[in-house]
This record gives sequence, structure tokens and C-alpha cells, in this order.
Amino acid sequence: MSFTHLHVATAFSAHYGVSWPDELAQAAAADSATALACTDRDGLYGTVKHIKACMDAGIDPIVGVDLAVFDDDGDHRTRISGRVVVLAHGNNNGAGYRALCRLISDAHARTSGKAGGTIPVAVTRSELASRTLDPQTLKPVLTVLIGPDSDVGQSMGGRKYLRPRTLFNEWINAMPPGTIVAETVTHLSAPGEPLSTAHAVRMLKLALEYNVPAILSNAVRYCAQDGAATADVLDSARTLKSLPELSTAPMLQPTGQGWLKNAHQMLQLGKEIMGAAGLGKADLHKLLSNTEALADKCRINPVLDMGWKTPVVPEASIIGIEKDPMVELSERCNAGISRRFPGISGSAEERLRSRLDHELGIIGNLGFGSYFLTVAEVSRMILEMGVRVAARGSGASSLVNYLIDISQVDPIRHDLIFERFLSGRRSTLPDIDIDVESAERHNVYRKIFDRFGAERVTLMSMQNGYRARGAVRDAGMALGMDEGEISGIAKQLWRFSARKFREALVEKPELREFAGRVERGALEENQQLDLLVDLTERLDRLPRHISMHPCGVILGDATLLDRTPVQPSGLGLPMSQFDKHDMDPMGMLKLDVLGVRMQSAMAFAVREVIRLHPGKDEVVKAGRHPIGPGGSGPDYIAPDGRIDLNAVPFDDQATYELIRSTHTLGCFQIESPGQRELIGKMAPREFNDLIIDISLFRPGPMKSDMVRPFLEHRHGFAPEVYPHPDLKPVLEETHGVTVFHEQILKTFDVMTKCGLDRADEFRRALGDEVHEPGVEKFFRKEAIKNYPPEVVDKVWGTLKAFGSFGFCKAHGAAFAVPTYQSAWLKTHHPEAFLAGLWEHDPGMYPKRLLVAEARRLGIPILPLDINRSHAEYRVEKILEGPDAGKLGIRLSLTGIYGLSGAELKRIVAGQPYDSLADLRARARVSKPNIKRLAQLGAFDALHRDSGGKANRADLVQHLQALQTTPARKAAEVIEGQLSFALGDVELRNLPPELPAPTRVENVRAELDLMAMDVSEHLMESHRPLLDKLGVTTADKLLGLRNGTEVLVAGVRVATQTPPMRGGRRVVFISIDDGTGCVDSVFFHEAQEESGPLLFGTRMLLIRGTTRRTGPRGISLSASKAWDLSKPETLPYAELLPSGGGLPDEYTRHGPLHGISRNLAITGLGS
Amino acid sequence: MGLFSESVDVICTDQGQPLEVTWKGTSYKVTGEPNRWFERRKWWAEETRAPIGSGAGLVDHEIWRVQLENTITLDVVRHLGSGRWRLLRIHDAAPARAVEPDEAA
Repeated sequence: MSFTHLHVATAFSAHYGVSWPDELAQAAAADSATALACTDRDGLYGTVKHIKACMDAGIDPIVGVDLAVFDDDGDHRTRISGRVVVLAHGNNNGAGYRALCRLISDAHARTSGKAGGTIPVAVTRSELASRTLDPQTLKPVLTVLIGPDSDVGQSMGGRKYLRPRTLFNEWINAMPPGTIVAETVTHLSAPGEPLSTAHAVRMLKLALEYNVPAILSNAVRYCAQDGAATADVLDSARTLKSLPELSTAPMLQPTGQGWLKNAHQMLQLGKEIMGAAGLGKADLHKLLSNTEALADKCRINPVLDMGWKTPVVPEASIIGIEKDPMVELSERCNAGISRRFPGISGSAEERLRSRLDHELGIIGNLGFGSYFLTVAEVSRMILEMGVRVAARGSGASSLVNYLIDISQVDPIRHDLIFERFLSGRRSTLPDIDIDVESAERHNVYRKIFDRFGAERVTLMSMQNGYRARGAVRDAGMALGMDEGEISGIAKQLWRFSARKFREALVEKPELREFAGRVERGALEENQQLDLLVDLTERLDRLPRHISMHPCGVILGDATLLDRTPVQPSGLGLPMSQFDKHDMDPMGMLKLDVLGVRMQSAMAFAVREVIRLHPGKDEVVKAGRHPIGPGGSGPDYIAPDGRIDLNAVPFDDQATYELIRSTHTLGCFQIESPGQRELIGKMAPREFNDLIIDISLFRPGPMKSDMVRPFLEHRHGFAPEVYPHPDLKPVLEETHGVTVFHEQILKTFDVMTKCGLDRADEFRRALGDEVHEPGVEKFFRKEAIKNYPPEVVDKVWGTLKAFGSFGFCKAHGAAFAVPTYQSAWLKTHHPEAFLAGLWEHDPGMYPKRLLVAEARRLGIPILPLDINRSHAEYRVEKILEGPDAGKLGIRLSLTGIYGLSGAELKRIVAGQPYDSLADLRARARVSKPNIKRLAQLGAFDALHRDSGGKANRADLVQHLQALQTTPARKAAEVIEGQLSFALGDVELRNLPPELPAPTRVENVRAELDLMAMDVSEHLMESHRPLLDKLGVTTADKLLGLRNGTEVLVAGVRVATQTPPMRGGRRVVFISIDDGTGCVDSVFFHEAQEESGPLLFGTRMLLIRGTTRRTGPRGISLSASKAWDLSKPETLPYAELLPSGGGLPDEYTRHGPLHGISRNLAITGLGS
Repeated sequence: MGLFSESVDVICTDQGQPLEVTWKGTSYKVTGEPNRWFERRKWWAEETRAPIGSGAGLVDHEIWRVQLENTITLDVVRHLGSGRWRLLRIHDAAPARAVEPDEAA
């Protein structure tokens, strides 16, 4: 006999289910089950994975949900009266699945989509009743299981005989006939407890009495017994109560029997229930046959019921197309040729046309014409909004995309291959990714909803799983451990999978101290740390919640909401319960509309340039742009001074010079320590170099040592080698090294004549254990026909080694565009560009590093000023003082700790102010915030103008005193009444009492309230100590010879642990000392030496030796690090071998001392 | 009635149902149908480790209530790891009555 489990939660029931769909399906199939249900809590989060798992295991999927039901008698908005399982009937052309989707969307419709919302996910009984019948046929398409978690099941405790019957009767009366069954479950708990056999018996008898079918289930939460403990920990994480608390409540599962029991065990449970009920074989048979009959009714046909792998795109009519979409697409492409390739003719045009026909032929055969038109429509719409937009990814390989303005990269010029993007051999919708300005992303989303209609659009979601830090926190909470202790441990966990916690304890130096405690704990019978490690490993990767995917938008036709349940996202727009892995199986068209901060920063910079220099001549002069033969400046600058960034040619030498200088902080893709090292070595000269640079700086190429040979060949240190002359055209641009996917495709095609479409399939198979051997066989068989064996061997070796790592050139080309554009802006309009960076904070570094970069470039940083600062950073022309004539950047009022958005708006709307009283009256800024503004010097100018003699410290003290006195009613100013221009009496009369605040105090206030050091670099105050220790500054490093031992010091700006060849972890720490960045690398020994300092400290003193990386690049190989914020821990004897006395100020604390609020100050990572 | 943690020997049927119990050196036949259920363990306090793959028996244990020769009622529990049996509770002499779990605890 076989048994079908109809009530099974997978791991996608967040904080509830334990096992993954494929484990469950495999286990069911191994027990010769023919079907398995997935009934996740609150949604279809695991459904698509379940379907796939069942198809792989050769069993039929059953689809359902475990939903809470509102109490009919209670407050509808918040009171729940238990949970039921709802199963969709199958093989009815999706009628059941549709109803299920809509029902789940109903359950979420009232929730806020934000964490901590008060309205639970639940349906009313009338919603449930109406969804169980198909609106067309009025036949039942859903079955509701009234089980142990329902109001009926929950009322079975004690001796209340009437209550369960009343409640059951209510269900029978409320639901259409034939839509409910009674679900009997025993987890073999002690007699009389929930999930005991006695309760199962009572449920069974209710069903018999009312003539409702009863079925048997095991309310499964885990695949095998072992999962029970994990389920306990998940219960703790869900309820935010420790296990001891849950145990007393009692709120834990009564036993650990909720696993996927096999058919024999389920039969035994059935017998036990019948025995306890005094019923016999016939009744047992009935119970089991009811279960199987329901299972049969609910077997889902993935293709017919759910549209499995059938792509659905918006109706052509919705984008205003009446004719055949392919005809429309061809016409638009033809129109694009004259726009993108003006004046093309002869053989060039012939090649272009044949490429276009080739692409259109493939698109037509796949029936994807309206897909391209849809994406083009979205692109057009975004451009019309005046938002910067750029296609990213392999979509740049398509000429069609270039011709209809989806992409900005010319695939002919960069030799990109269409088959890398789409071929006749792929039937899934290709990905086209669109980058837009991050600040405009939500507006773009709303516009897409408006344009296509809310019934055709929803946001994609993503699953957020446990990683090491979250897992250790929740495991610690379950054990009831001290929060502070857990936080301390969590902080030391750095980028490894929670599943490898125990392994990491042995290996990682920063965990050494903790590992010691675990070991001692085991001896001293302090058991918790050992358990903590085990429970952390158990939680690894389990889903915690879903959230809005950062870029995915799903577009469909009018039936979209019949195919996916939706729930509110934090943004307010509906979000699908499906994630990116579910898109292809469900035939859903996903558009990646990614908000890119760099695009916002660049758009901001362009606007600042035109604001400061209203007119082409001024812009040309300010940016030192070429005047050109006509004398009027380049065409990409409009008469009003607007720069068309996309039209800037890719050949500006000043830009490449800046890139080669490695001072690329703030530039897209090339600002990281590793990239600065690489560009220093590579010295890019042209756009294609940038494409190669970006493609090389990937885990694959770095890991497989492609970079060194490439650089050797490029600089001519070693002769270029080609395995065969036929491959020279393929590999020439990268000096014989295989870097791009495109080169792999061509290599296959050249040597085997397989065609580029098959070549792309071969490329995908590389590195795949199952499929690679077949590819090798084919390659050897075909290539040997034309090439000698040693060439075949060598080329296969390259393909095998690099094939799975290489990078798609189209990606590289698409990325290189904003890279070039950002470097161009930094070269020609650095003030506007940096203001854009501060405003939109696009990079990997804390914002304060970009402030330091402005300081390094000699750009004046203008202080906060209540009358001159705006809600955004602004470039200002400096009119007086030593910097007169220069452009400076004025700090913004946004991002000051405590200042609310409403206050900010009122301040800006009311500017200028002639006194503090004026500010209080019109901008209604709270007392603490006025004090904060004073601390930051926002009133210094006002104070000076008032003629007062006091200083900033006096003002802060005065405002502090006011904070404690009760508010007086402000003097009413009658509309239209003229106030005397008395200046600020309050400021003028302030008595000078205190010494002015020190630089350190000012910088500390800036760091505390703005996370930036503005008045001076925060390292300045440590300078006496550093000088005494003989510390070398970043700007001096380049002048040292390779292998010099030095001490450097600075504030951490980046920490990275990239994957490395050989698998041993290497830690890169970059610090900033005010003169630039020092990039240091900690190999194994140095990590051992530095232990917990590796990830836990903000200011470091590092000893190491210089490593020259290129003509303009130098880094440090660290041997040891110290925590500079604890000067008392520095080993002066070791550091000052001359034995000289200690500087007096050596224990003085710097500006960072005592600031714990803002992690964004330093590059500690998340 | 009281709580004990004393070792006993139990002989079971092939299905794992107790047939004979040896307690304090005396063997008794199990009479009537024994009752069986599972109870939770405070594993987070009682165990030092709970690694993945610990298997059954961490979260709950199996309890049998057996009546010995119509006179004594015992709750016995089998430790899943070692397979050893322990005596958990001794109930009043016969007749065995339904014991509510909170009473039994």
C-alpha cells in the first residue's frame, strides 16, 4: 500500500518548516508514494520548488496552503480562530489552482506588508467559502481540511463535549457541500494533550457523526525525526521566546512526531486511532481510502493546471499594437538602422542586415516578438520620464535591442554574439536587465503598474535565508543566552556558511577565543556554547522571510493574478510570492529594473553642472573640454550647458589618465582596492581595455590565474601564444588568454563547426559533472578531424579550466559604459561629481572616504550653514577668502541624526533666517535638533553676523539649558506684520564663558551626527603619536622601494575576503589616513597574529612590507595589526626600538572615541 | 506514586511492545494492552550536543504504561541511544485507571 501526505510544510514556511521540497519529494518517492502535497503556511512560497521536486522524483504534486481563519464572532481585523489546510483540485484546467492563488491573495490583502503590522495574514470564512467554488461552473475546486489546528481541533482539550460539535457544525453550515473534510492527526502525545490519539479519535467521531469524510495526515514539519529539534528552534525564532519559556507556556510541539512517516507507519497510526476509537478494519479502510481519494482529486497537472514553462507576455494590444508583433518589430528595427548607423552602405550594410535577419528569424521562431516590444515599451517609458536608463547583461549582445533603444552598446563594434543571449535552442524567456537611477526606481515601478495595469504587473520577491550571524542570534535566543554575549559572538562571524560553524571554529583566528570558550564550556558543563554551534548549523540557509527583490518586476497578461498569489510589499505595491527561481518554470516574464545609485549620482552631477554654468561656453571652460575645430565645443554639450553623457565619445585621454593614476575612488566598478591594483597594473588606454579589465576582475578569472599571463602578454614581457593560428582572430584582443564567454563560443565553433547556438549550450555544460563528459567527447571527435592531437588537448584543457569561469563580454561592455562616464565626470567636473556621490552614496565605501577624497583633491568642503545648506549637497562658487574662485561643496541638511524629514522640509522652505527665534517660529525645529545643528556649526555664520562674542560651546550650553526648561508659547507674528530687523538678540547677548570647542570635539560631533569628518580628517588628532611611532602616510608609500618594512595607520574603509586560488582565506583591509588609501593584505600568518582585530576594530595600526603592484600601484603585505583606538594596548617597546620616551599625548582619545552609533563611519561591513 | 529513574529489563514483541518486565530481580508478565505515548524532553538542558543527524530521541521519548500481572502499573521509558529501559513512574496498585497526564506528571 502507499500513503499520500496531504499536509506538509516545507522549509519555505518561514520559521516553521524544516525540510526542503526535494528532500521531502525524494523521501516520499522512496516510500513508493505516488503523490505529495506542499501546504506551506500563508502562501505558495515553496510550491514551484515542490512541483519541480515532484517531477524529478516521478510523483504527482499536490498544491495547497495552510491558512489562518478569522474568528467570525470576533474582531475581524485581528482575531484568529485557528488554521486550516486548503488543497487545490487538479486536472481542471487550473480552476483549482486559480482559486487557491486568489484565496491566498485575499488573505494578504489587508496586511500592511511591513514588519510588525497588526493585521495578521488570514481569510474570513466567507472568503474561504466563496473561493471553494469555481465562479464559472459553481463546482467545488478547493477542499478545506478541518484539523488539529482549526478552531474545532483546538477545542478538543478538556471535557468540553459540546464546543467542538458547535464549531464543526458552523463549518458545515458555512461551507458549500463537498468542500470540507475532517483531518485526523496523532503525534502520539500523552492522552488528552493536543495531537494525541484521543484527540484524533474525537475528530474522527465528529466526522462520522456529521457524515463528513475523514482523512489521515501527519501534519508534517520535517522530513525525518532529526528535524524535530530544528522545529523547536524555529518555534522560538517565530515567537521570539526562548525554549525554556516556550516549554513552560507550553507552546512547543507536544512531541517530535511530525515527520514524513512512511506508509507502514501511517497505517500503524490509523490502526492505533481505530483501536482507541473502538472501530474496526472497515473504518480504517474508509479513512485511508478517503485520504487517497482526496489525493487523487488534488493531483496537479503542472502544464494544464499551472501553465508550467509556458511563457506568457502582455497582450500586444496593451502596448498599442494591432498588427503581427513580428512585423512591427522588423519595422522598428529597420527604422533604427538609419538612426544608429547613419550613412551605412555597401558590404557593411549587408553584414548588418544579415545579422538583423538572423536575430529576427530566431525571435520569430520562438514567438518572442511581443516580449521585445514590451521591453522596448518599458525602456521608452523610462526615457520619457527623463530618467537615465541603460541595459545591462547579455541583452547587450543583441542588435535588435540596440536598434529599438533597449541597449546602448553597439554589438557589432564590440563583436558581441547574439547566441550568448538567445538562440533557437532555448525556449525560456531571455533576461533583459535595465539599470535606472536608484532615486527614480520606485517611480519607474509605479509607472509600469500604471502603464500595463495592476492586473498584469507585480513585483518579484526574494527569499532571505539564515546566514551565520542571524542564525547564531536566533540559536542563542532559543537557548535563552544573554543578548550581549550573543552579539559579541555574532560580530566575529565573517562570511561563512552557518553550516560550517564548527569547522570555522578550528580554522578562523578571529574565532579562536570563542572556540576556546566552547572547549572549556564542555569541560565545565556549561553546555550552551556547544549547543549554540549545533543549533546555528541547523538554521543555516532556512528561509526567514520574503522581501521585495531589489529589481524584479513581473509582467504578464490579464491572467497574471490567477497564476501567482500576491501580497503587499513594504513599498505598497503588490509582490508575488514567487522568487527568481520560479520565473522560468511558471513562464513568467521578469524584467530586472535595477536602481543604480551611480546613475543617480551622474544625473545629479549633470544637473549641478548646468546649474553652476548655465551655458555651453561656461561648461566647456569649466570642464576643460575640447573646443574643437569649429571653436564652439563638443556636440555632446547642449547650448544650455546640458551634457548628454551617452553621447560623450569613449576616447578622452584625460579620463584614461585619471584611471591609470588609480585615484578612482567613486568611479563605477573600478574603485575597490583590488580593482585599483588591477588598473594600476593594466594601465587602460581605451574603452576595450575597460571591458577587459571589468571582465578580468571576477572571482573566476582571479581564482584561475588568468590575470598574470594576460598582463605579461599585454606588457610584452612574454610573447603571445596561440594554440593554433585559426584561433588568433578569436583570442587576439586578450593577447591569447581566454577571458570572455564569447571567445569560448567562437573556439568551439571554429574547431568543431558546431554553430554558435550549440556552442553556447556546450559552454553552459562546462563545469557540469553530468554534461561535461559528453561535450568533451564531441569536441575531441570533431576537432581531431582538422587539428593535431596536441592542439586539441591544449584547447580542451583551456576550455575545461576557464570555460565555467569566463565572463560575458556583453556584460563587461554594458558595465564599462558607466565606468567610463563616471571617470569622465570625475576628470572634468570633480566637484559636481563628488557632490553627486555624497548625495547618492553609490559606492562600496563609507561616505566619509569620499569626503576625504574631496579634501585630497583640494576641493573645499563648506560647513553646514542654516541659511546656505539645502536638502541636498550643492556645489558653490566661493567668492571670498583664500579659496576665492574655487568651487566647493556645501554640506546638506539631510542625514543629520535626529532631524526629521518634516523638519528638514520646513527649514528649507523657510530659508533664510535672521535669528534662532525666527528658525524656531517658522521651521519649528525641536530643541534637541537645534542643539545638534549648533554642535555642527550650522549657526556659526549667523552668530558671527549677530556680533556676539561667545563661541559655539557657549551656544551649545545655552541651548542645552533651554532644552530642560518648559516651552513658552512663541510670540505670535500676525500675517503681514513687519518684524523689526533686529538681528539675533539671543545670539548677540550670549555671554562668552567657555573655551571654544577643540577640533577633536567638533569632528566627534560631526562623526556622531553625520557619520562624516568634515572640519578635518579624523586621523589628524592622532598625528603626534603616529609621527612619534614613525608611521608612513599613504601618499609617501609609492616612493618606497618594494619590500620596505613600514608602519601605517588609518581608519578602516573596506574589508574583503575574496575567494582565492588554493582556498586559503586572504583578508584585504583598506584604511584611509587622510592622504589616501592604504590597501593591506593579511595572509594566513598575519591573520593568526591579529586575531579578533581583523574584523572588530575601526582604527588600525598595521605593520607590513610594501608590495609594488604596478607603475602607479603599491600595497602592503601585513604582518601584524593593533587597535589604534586603544593606545594603551600598543607595544611601545616593540614599536619604538630606540627606547625613546612616549609622547605625552599617547593616550589621548581621537574623535571616534565613544561613538558607537554609526557603523557607516567605517568599512566594517554589515 | 512517585518518580524514579531506575533501570529495568523489558522483553518486547517484534513490534516493540513490552511483554515482560524484570524489576528488582523479579520478572512480571505484562497483562492487558499496554498504553504508549511520547513525551517531550528538555533537550536544551539535558543534552550537550544536538548536531544535525542526531536522529530520533532528542526531542521526545517513548513511554509505555504497563500493568504487571494485574497488580502494579509502571511507566517505563526506553532510551533510544542505548536501548536501555528505565522506570519512570510507579502508579497505585490496580485497578489501573485513566491517569490524566498532569496528574501523572
